[in-house]
Amino acid sequence: MLTRSQVKSFISRYPDFRDEVLSIHYAPRMPKAMVKETQKIVALARKFNDEIARPLFLELDRKTHENPEFLPWDLVKKANEWGFYTMWMPKVFGGKGYNMPSIAYFSEEIGSVCLGIANVIGVHYLGVAGLMMAGNTRVIKKVMNDVVQGEKTGDPCLIALAITEPMAGTDVEEIELEDRGKITCHVRKVKGGYIVNGTKIFISMGRLSKWTVLYGYTNLKKSSENTVVMMVKQGMKGFTYGTHENKMGQRICTADVLNFEDCFVPDELVILDPERAKGFTKQKSRDVKMRHLDYVLSLSRPVVGSFGTSAARGAFEAALRFANEAEIDGKPMISYEWVQCRLAEMYSNVRLGRLAYAEANLANQHRGVYNILQMKPIYYYLKYLPLAFFNNVLSPLLTNRSIGTWLMSKWYLDGQKPEDQHLCTGLGSLAKFNGTDIGVKNCQIALELMGQTGMRHENGMEKILRDAKLLQIYEGTNQLNRINVFKSLIAPACPKAKIFEE
Amino acid sequence: MITALNKDLKPFEDLITEFAREELKPHVEKNDRYPYDSRDAEIIESNFRKIYDLGFLGIMLPEEYNGIGQGISALCMMLGHVAEVDASYSLIIFTSSLSQEVILAAGADKTAKKLFPQAKTAQDYFISFPSFTNPGQVVTLPQAAISGKDYKLTGNLDYLVLGNFTNWAVIPAKVSGKQGYSFFLVDLKDKAVRKSAPIFSLGLHACPIVDITFDGVNAQLLGEEGEGEKYFNKASKVLHVATAAISSGIMKGSLKEAMDYAKEREQGGWTIVNWSEVRMILANMTVKSKAVDMCVAGTCQGIEAGIPDWGVYSMAAAIHVHEMACEVVTDGIQVLGGNGYMKDYGQEKRYRDARQVQALLGLVPLRKLSLIREISA
Repeated sequence: MLTRSQVKSFISRYPDFRDEVLSIHYAPRMPKAMVKETQKIVALARKFNDEIARPLFLELDRKTHENPEFLPWDLVKKANEWGFYTMWMPKVFGGKGYNMPSIAYFSEEIGSVCLGIANVIGVHYLGVAGLMMAGNTRVIKKVMNDVVQGEKTGDPCLIALAITEPMAGTDVEEIELEDRGKITCHVRKVKGGYIVNGTKIFISMGRLSKWTVLYGYTNLKKSSENTVVMMVKQGMKGFTYGTHENKMGQRICTADVLNFEDCFVPDELVILDPERAKGFTKQKSRDVKMRHLDYVLSLSRPVVGSFGTSAARGAFEAALRFANEAEIDGKPMISYEWVQCRLAEMYSNVRLGRLAYAEANLANQHRGVYNILQMKPIYYYLKYLPLAFFNNVLSPLLTNRSIGTWLMSKWYLDGQKPEDQHLCTGLGSLAKFNGTDIGVKNCQIALELMGQTGMRHENGMEKILRDAKLLQIYEGTNQLNRINVFKSLIAPACPKAKIFEE
Repeated sequence: MITALNKDLKPFEDLITEFAREELKPHVEKNDRYPYDSRDAEIIESNFRKIYDLGFLGIMLPEEYNGIGQGISALCMMLGHVAEVDASYSLIIFTSSLSQEVILAAGADKTAKKLFPQAKTAQDYFISFPSFTNPGQVVTLPQAAISGKDYKLTGNLDYLVLGNFTNWAVIPAKVSGKQGYSFFLVDLKDKAVRKSAPIFSLGLHACPIVDITFDGVNAQLLGEEGEGEKYFNKASKVLHVATAAISSGIMKGSLKEAMDYAKEREQGGWTIVNWSEVRMILANMTVKSKAVDMCVAGTCQGIEAGIPDWGVYSMAAAIHVHEMACEVVTDGIQVLGGNGYMKDYGQEKRYRDARQVQALLGLVPLRKLSLIREISA
């Protein structure tokens, strides 16, 4: 009927069928052990929900209203005890090395009970991603070792990521806008390091994190080409915390202001420096920065999509409980067609949100930053090789200043084709705005079904509505993510299209 | 819009806008809090007394009962302007009107003449009511048993608006052996009434709501036994549009704050109002807000003119306006980004308040179904 070349020609025509339906292409390549591993993670999340999250989440939210300065140290310690802060760190850096996509399913489980608690755990991995995606193995090893030790000693060590500024939220997440934005966090090169001056705002878990990935700029007018990413530690001279932001929801996960006043950061804590990167890649500084941001956001946005899906699921489950218990005109509410149709719509939203972040995961797994880790032989080697191999062979190799940094930089800076980068960042954005929009949508349907019952804090539903709204804003507003979907996945079919140039 | 169509309301409008601007606006953030404490009683009492002194608690109550005797247009105009600043106080005014309408619908003329003209304080004048429910949809209402000339109520009633603060309440309860439910006037100061702490709710925090337990409290029947549904429907028929007016006010507040912010905040070197997607969001908010404004005003006119099926218009307007409001307040936060999510700005409060207002007078889907039942009957 069709020749092989004809098939290839039709398939690769825009939209390329191989990019449009990743599940049928990549699901067969998934190592079976990864499925079991993911099931184990989901089971663990459900156990945590039963024992910790569900009994605590309303009380914790109430405490943050009673005392806006309340800090969730006990919760963080519990999460630390359960091993959640090293769960998705690579084994070579001392972590447990669970497969990265499983964090999305984990987050959906925890978030379906409490989005705030999900973020208290999950946002640490935004910091981990920011650190990892700079490829500086020595610093990665040093910081992650602190996290591992924190788990052993019961003194949690979390990593935050600080990029948002008072006058620049969207601008600092989009390279095309950055140089036009009002960016103020200045870094100045001095002997042995950098001096930082500026303010970062809305930093999730900022004051509860021992380490922070900080984005500073040597030239505030041309920040896209002059970004320096560095690790700053609590207690550094000139690094202080400002206001504890008073948010509508996700209140248990703090949003902090970070102030830097002549704060000295030594060279050995700089993880991405445009000057030093020149030694490892031929890419321009701006492209290196964009690639770094794309990598981080390609990883984080599907997880935010899973948060959104979890909000949709939490709302669905609350409405389902209510419909199962309530009566209308002497009949169970659940027996009415109109109730069943609303519940079916909510359930469908949950499944569709999950499919969207699962596709974004597949892109990252097979075309993105950790594709090498998903190849069956490598996956199994990493999973079953004894720890001694990691500690005695891989770790020294990767933390060797020249070999390790070269390897990681090659892998991260030059290891992905532009079209794959577009696919990963585009699907990450798609999962993010889709999941978070359906999260708010399901809350709306649930509240309409529940009436005054849904308004009461003790029933949990109103909190999901408050929590869910933030998801449409952070990790890039949903408008920015829509534009990124256009830019990454649609614009190739639109030669005349210009982005951010109206 | 309402005043543009009815110039006679201008003096009332001037009064209410000045009150909202001078008395309510400075305290919005402070009043929107949890937990409640003794300060709440002071703040609420202070504003409550001012609302009472200005006559707003009896805006639709006929003059013979010591009210102002205005129509639904005046009430909606007032609710909208107050909600633009703080919808909590709109709930107070709305609930006052609702309980008065129920008393009048029950034909309890004697009760009304005794209650309102003799009231010396706001607490005496304001009658609490469970405004977030249609009593016919509640599975377990308090039970009423005949005791001499009066009745005694036992059982629980959830979510009584301002029940911790006022002296009287209109309570729906079931009379043993009778179909349907009935309304009773209850003295909330009675020792046989137990009140919960204010309920921690999604929005409208400056108007506390409590759960009530009756341990055989004396109650006075309003109207006839088992006719509660008839009275509620009559009262709510006109007041559905009043809930829409509250939502319309919230939308106006949201749109104004979004526009002001968009003209100041910069992104990518421009004020964000110049980015076409932001303009599109603002345009959508404007379309919804303006259309809703006209919808509320038109419905009020229709009701006052007594057009056929005015009750259907009232209910349909409310359902539609609430949906629009929930969309607008969500976009209202989005325009402000992270700032919109913080309590330093007004948008997050409107996001919560709009949903709480939508829950007035019972479940949304059941209101829709009752609408179609009325049309198809």
